[in-house]
Amino acid sequence: MTTSARIKGFILIGILPALLIYLFFVVVPIFWSAYYGFFDWKGIGAAKFIGFDNYAEVVRDPIFWKGFKNNMLIVAASVFGQVPIAMILALLLTRSNLFQKMIRASVFMPMVLSSVVVGIIWSYIYHPQIGILNFLLDSVGLENLKKAWLSEPSVSMYMIMIPIIWNYIGPYMIIFIAALQNIPSEINDAAQIDGVGSTRKLFQITLPMIWDTIKVVVVLCISGSLKAFDLIYVMTGGGPAHTTEVLASYMYNSTFNVYRFGYGSAISTSIIILSLILILGSQYLMKRDYR
Amino acid sequence: MQMEQKLPFSPGRGWAKINRGLINIGLSLYAIVTLYPLFWLFTSAFKTNEEFDSRPFYLPEVWHWDNLSRAWKVSAMGTSLINSTIVTIASLVLTLLLGALAAYVLARFQFRLKAFLMGLFLLGMLIPIHSTLVPLFIMLKKVSLLDTYWALILPYTAFELPLAIFVTAAFLTVIPKEIEEAALIDGTGYWGIFFRMMLPLSLPALSTVAILGFLRFWNDFAFALIFISKPALKTVPLSLSVFATGYSTDYKLTMAAMTIAVIPTIVAFLMFQEQIMKGMTAGAVKG
Repeated sequence: MTTSARIKGFILIGILPALLIYLFFVVVPIFWSAYYGFFDWKGIGAAKFIGFDNYAEVVRDPIFWKGFKNNMLIVAASVFGQVPIAMILALLLTRSNLFQKMIRASVFMPMVLSSVVVGIIWSYIYHPQIGILNFLLDSVGLENLKKAWLSEPSVSMYMIMIPIIWNYIGPYMIIFIAALQNIPSEINDAAQIDGVGSTRKLFQITLPMIWDTIKVVVVLCISGSLKAFDLIYVMTGGGPAHTTEVLASYMYNSTFNVYRFGYGSAISTSIIILSLILILGSQYLMKRDYR
Repeated sequence: MQMEQKLPFSPGRGWAKINRGLINIGLSLYAIVTLYPLFWLFTSAFKTNEEFDSRPFYLPEVWHWDNLSRAWKVSAMGTSLINSTIVTIASLVLTLLLGALAAYVLARFQFRLKAFLMGLFLLGMLIPIHSTLVPLFIMLKKVSLLDTYWALILPYTAFELPLAIFVTAAFLTVIPKEIEEAALIDGTGYWGIFFRMMLPLSLPALSTVAILGFLRFWNDFAFALIFISKPALKTVPLSLSVFATGYSTDYKLTMAAMTIAVIPTIVAFLMFQEQIMKGMTAGAVKG
């Protein structure tokens, strides 16, 4: 066997197992879901080809767009809630003493919990009878604010955003800290010598220096928000009356509760298309060069 | 996080100390608020139901350790811990082995489809996992893998491979070419180089991948919810979700079951916190 044939053989055997598993379980399902979207199928029995009917229904389905709106609300909560809090914490936590390390670890802690645990804990916090939120309102004399937080359509979606923000601040904070520590210290020294005020320095030096990182974080917020399925499944299941439905939970309910596999597949495909548009769009919008 | 650095906004000398003090108090308060739900979980796990109801903010009057053993029995925690362990370890072995091998090939060899393959794996990091649930369910059903360990192991591995490949490849590209050439001249084959040099050298990258994978596999809920319905195969998050709805009025037992369930990940976090925090950053920024 010649050397080049040996190299080729090794490359093939080296890459093939990973590639096959990846293709079969990540890439191929995308095409299957686009394909099943053309069928009316209950999961068992014969599937009936119905052309673009499912996709047309998705586009006109008010609950689908309600889910999309809720996903966007979660994106907004991440971008305008998580990112600023994470940034403030990062600005205050760039040192490496024991105290700062402990604070960083505490903020990060929720990340290692299963989302099922997070969901159940927060459902109990919000619980109308046993929840500590109502208990707290009681003990400070604000009984009239007490609510069944998760079954009140006007507030339930906002109540779900709080644990989402709580849960995911940690990684964004760490990303920002790493970026802040990468700013060459000469720049900070020069700013100090020139007597640049702290607010001006923050907006004209620090933030532009880490703009690329902020871009990455915004993209992560978007892709992360589309993953907000577990918490919602555990806390509300998309209810009451679809008020907390997100795209993923609606896909789940359409497929596994009412057994419309074709329609669920069409929703899956729409989720992929929407999320790619969102990610590319946000990248484009943030392309503006701040330096 | 070793580099010492000045605060981005540095206050005047006289106020510096007071400012620092105020900031530290603020940070401590923030940390306490963040940890409070967990503290509540742990203390409630040892209370009676009446106490859970009437004194939510206090420590238990008597620590009811038997809550834990009862919760363990009633929620069949033993079975689900075994299932989670099997699935997590198998997925980790597959992810690390296949990921490292692919990373070695992609980082150290030149071939025609390299850029295309890198792009293909990168795409996987942008695809929302949940959008593949329905087609994966149908596909797994067709090949009769539903309700087996493989229904979790293979998708977990597939979705973790891009991260494993990028983190490991980034690590392997910086190793000098000479080491490899010397080994080739000595008559070591590529497999020998992979197992005896590349694997040990990439150990720091692989351990990051392993810890992140452990957290992801151990905590996963969506795949387990859809691909597993046999009670004997339920993983920890899945059986917790069932338990919480089934025993919805015995709150202390649910809290106790959850306490048992979060211990492994919290212990892992306390042991490897720097690595976990840095690893999640590396993975995120690469994508």
